[in-house]
Amino acid sequence: MTGGGVRQPDLLVVGGGPAGISAARAAAGAGLRVLLVDERPTLGGQIFKQPGPGFTVTDPAAMDKQFRQGRALIESLDGIGVEVRLRTAVVAVEGRHAVLVTEGSPAETVTAARLLLAPGAHDRPVALPGWTLPGVITAGGLQTLAKTQRVLPGERIVFAGAGPVALAFPAQLAHYGAHIVTALEAGPAPGVADVVRIARAAPGNTALLRDAARYRALLLRHRVPLRYGRIVVRVEGAGKVERVVHAAVDADWRVITGTERTVAADVLCLGYGFVPSLELTRLVGCELDYDEDLGGHVVRRDEWQRTSVDGVYAAGDGTGVEGSFVAIDEGRLAGLAAALDAGVISIGEADRTAAPARQRLARRRALSAATNRLYRVGPGVHELSTADTVICRCEVVRQRDLLPAIESTADINVVKAYTRAGMGPCQGKNCQRQVCALIARRHGRPVADIPLATPRMPVRPVPIGALADHTINSPTLFLPEDDSAGPTAGPTVEVSG
Amino acid sequence: MTGQQWVSAADSSAALPASTDVLVVGGGIAGTAMAYYLAREGVEVTLVDRGELNREASGTNAGSFHLQLAIHQLSGQGSGADRERLLAEARLSLAAFSVWQGLDAELDGSLDVHLTGGWMVAETPQQVRTLWDKHELEQLAGIETEVVTGAELRRRAPYLAENITAATYCPVEGHANPLIVAPLYALRAAQHGAVIRTHAAVLGIDLHGDSGAKRFTVHTDAGSIDAHRVVDCAGAWSGELAAMVGIRLPVRSEGLHVNVTEPRPHLLTPMLQHIGRRLTLKQTEQHTFLIGGGWPTPAAPAPHRYPTSWHSAAGNTAVAVSVLPALADVRVVRTWSGVIVFTDDFSPVVGESRLVPGFHACVSSTGFTFSPIFARQLAEQMLAPRAASPFPDRYSLDRASVATTK
Repeated sequence: MTGGGVRQPDLLVVGGGPAGISAARAAAGAGLRVLLVDERPTLGGQIFKQPGPGFTVTDPAAMDKQFRQGRALIESLDGIGVEVRLRTAVVAVEGRHAVLVTEGSPAETVTAARLLLAPGAHDRPVALPGWTLPGVITAGGLQTLAKTQRVLPGERIVFAGAGPVALAFPAQLAHYGAHIVTALEAGPAPGVADVVRIARAAPGNTALLRDAARYRALLLRHRVPLRYGRIVVRVEGAGKVERVVHAAVDADWRVITGTERTVAADVLCLGYGFVPSLELTRLVGCELDYDEDLGGHVVRRDEWQRTSVDGVYAAGDGTGVEGSFVAIDEGRLAGLAAALDAGVISIGEADRTAAPARQRLARRRALSAATNRLYRVGPGVHELSTADTVICRCEVVRQRDLLPAIESTADINVVKAYTRAGMGPCQGKNCQRQVCALIARRHGRPVADIPLATPRMPVRPVPIGALADHTINSPTLFLPEDDSAGPTAGPTVEVSG
Repeated sequence: MTGQQWVSAADSSAALPASTDVLVVGGGIAGTAMAYYLAREGVEVTLVDRGELNREASGTNAGSFHLQLAIHQLSGQGSGADRERLLAEARLSLAAFSVWQGLDAELDGSLDVHLTGGWMVAETPQQVRTLWDKHELEQLAGIETEVVTGAELRRRAPYLAENITAATYCPVEGHANPLIVAPLYALRAAQHGAVIRTHAAVLGIDLHGDSGAKRFTVHTDAGSIDAHRVVDCAGAWSGELAAMVGIRLPVRSEGLHVNVTEPRPHLLTPMLQHIGRRLTLKQTEQHTFLIGGGWPTPAAPAPHRYPTSWHSAAGNTAVAVSVLPALADVRVVRTWSGVIVFTDDFSPVVGESRLVPGFHACVSSTGFTFSPIFARQLAEQMLAPRAASPFPDRYSLDRASVATTK
C-alpha cells in the first residue's frame, strides 16, 4: 500500500483508450476526483496507439489521421485534474477495492467509490490449421508493431478478415509501406441495396463514411486486391508461413468445396474483428448478453452505461465492439452517470450534457444496422479447425485431445480440467471461444448458451515479488475460533493447497 | 490426457432408474470410489451429483499426500489418548498412500502418482524444536523422516532461503492428479454396471422403516429413486444430506485459496511445507508452481464458486517466496478456490448409521488421501457386513446426534 497520488478516488477508470479518456474527462469535468489507469506506456488505447517509448514524433502532419485524433483526445485531459497512472494494470477487484500493479512496483490497493471499466477489445481468435506458425499475426498485433515500433514482420502479407477492419487495416498497413499480396474479406461485396441502406444512414456519419472512402482509395492506390466472400482455410509451411490457402464461403462463412486457392506469402494477418476484453467485468460479476456481431459475450448495461453491479460502469469496445466513435460517446455517458450517481450533478444537467452524445450514438447505430449484412460474423469462422489443430496454444492441446472431454460434458470448466485447455498464461483468451464453439456443436446448442469458465484473479499475470505482502500473518485454519483445541488427528492433506 | 475416455454425457444425462440397491450421493472421489468398489463386486449402484463430477474439493485440491505431521496436530499435544490417536491416524495415512500407489493398476489408467519426497521447513528456534518433536512422533508412528540442518541442508536443498535453519525430509510423500482420479473411478464404475447421473440434486429423502428392499425414496430434481441403502459422499454438503434423514453430522466447511504460476524450468522435485506458517508448495509435472496451504476465501452459497482473495494470495505467496526466493520473478497466472469439509473433532465420518439403518457416509477432510481406502473398507463392510464395524467409534455418523439428544 505504498506510493503517492489519489488513494481514494471518487472514480477509478480502467483503460486509457477512447472510452476511458472520454469517461475520465466527463467525470472530472463534473467534479469527481478521477484516477485513470492503463497498462500501456502511453494513453490512446489500441486505435489511438502512440509511438512507443524512445520514439519522438518530429512531424505530426506526416503521421496517420488516427495518431492526430488520438493525440488531441489525450491532450484534452490536460489541466482538468485527472490523475493518470500508466504501465499499471488492475489485476483484481474485490468490492470497492481494486488492486493495481505498476510495472516494477509492489501491488497497491485503491479504494474507489465507483469503478468504470473501459478495457477495450482484443482480436477475435480464429483457430485454423497452421495458425500457430510463425508469421501468422493478428491485425491488432501487426497494427501495434507498425504504430509503436514502425516495423513490419515480413515481405509478402496476406490479410484475411471481415468487417470495417478488412478495409481499414490493409489500407493503413499499405500506408506504412507494407506489401499486401491480397486482402480477403469473408463477407459479401456491397450490393446496390447495401449502398442505399448506408446512404440513408449517412446523416451524422459522414466522417466514418469519408474514412471508408479514403481507405478504399488507399487500397486502389497501393494496388491491393480486395476479394470478397473468401476466408483463409489453412496456413502451410515448414516452421514458418510459406503458403496461405483461401476459399470462397457462403453467407454463414462455411467453405464452398472446390474453391480453394493457394498464394505464396510469409505473413498472414488475421483480422476477423474484435471481442470485448471481459476479464474484469466478469470478475466483478457483471451480467452478460450474447451478440456475435458485437464480439460474442457483451456487457449488459442501462442507458447510462451502468452494469448490473452497483457502482460499476462500463463503456467502449470492452462492452461490445462498436468502434472508437461509439466508445467516446459511451465513455461520456458513463462518466456523467458516475457524477450523477455521486450526486455532484443533477439529472437535468446530466441529461442536457448527454444529449449530443446520445444523438450521435443513435446515428452510429443506424449505420451499423445498415452495414449489418456486410459485417455479420458467420459461424463458419469457428469450424475451420481440424483434429490436428492446436486449440490451446499455451498448453498445446489439439482438437482431438478435446473431443473425448467434450463428449462427456458441456461444461467448459470440466473440459479444462480434463485437458488443461485454458490453463496457460493467456488464461483462455485465445482458446476459450473455440472450445465453447466445439462444445456447442457437439451438444447441439447455440454457442451463446455455453457459459465461459469461472473468472478468477489476477486478470493479468503478476510477479510474486509484486504480489507478496510480508506484513500478512498466516491464518490458523482447521482450529476452532478460540484456538484452544487439543491435538488433531490425521496428517493433513491440504484440500485446496 | 490424450485419448482418455470419460463417462459420456449421453449416459450421465439419461433418466434415473426407478430403484437401486445402493444410491451414492456425491460425484467426488469418495462417491466415485464407492460406486467403483461396489459395482466391481456386482452390487447394483447408482451415483447422483447435483452438478458435474469432481467439481468440488476432490477436483480443486492440489493432489498432495502429506504424511508429515502438521503444526495444528502438534500444538498442545494433550493426553496420552490423544497421542495414541495421532499415531493411529499416522499409520492409517501410510496405508492410505499404499492404496494410492496401486491405483494406476487397479483403474488401468495414469493418475500421475509420483513419490517426490517432501520438506517441512523451520525458521525460528521454537519451530526447530517443534520439528524435532514432530520427528520423534513420526518415528513412533513409522513415518520415515530425517532432520536436516546447516551445510547438509544447503547441499541437499540449495533452493531454500538462508533463513531456513532446519527441515525434515520425508521420502514417501508425493502427489497425484486430482483432476482425473474421480472421473476415472466413475468411468470404471460405469463399465462395471454402475449408473452415473450428473445434474441430479437431492431435494429430500423419505424413510420407509428399516425392513424390506425399499428403505429410502430419494427425490432429486431429475426424478425420484427408491434405494435399499444410501451412501452420503457429499463432502462439504454431507451435513445437509444427512439432515434429510434426521442425522446431524458434525461437519463444517471452509473455502481455501490456491495460487498457480506460469511454468518455469525445473527447480524443485520435493514438495515444501512450513512447520509454523501456512504453506504447501510444489512444482508440477507441467513445471508450474502450486502455492497453497490453507489460506481462506470468503464463503459463497452453492452453486457459486467461492471467490478467491487477494489478501490470501498476497499472504500465501509472501510465505512461499520467503522459503523459495527464486519465486520472486515468477508470475502468478491464476488463483482458484476449493471447499474443505472438516469436523469439530477432526475425525472422519465413515460407516453406517445405527439411528437410521441403511444410511451410510464416507466423508473426511483429508479426502483426497483417505477416500480410496475408506471407500474400499466401507464397500467391503457393505458387501459382507460384520457385526463389528471396521471403523472406530469416533468415526460414527451418529456421534453428534447422540450428543445432542442426551
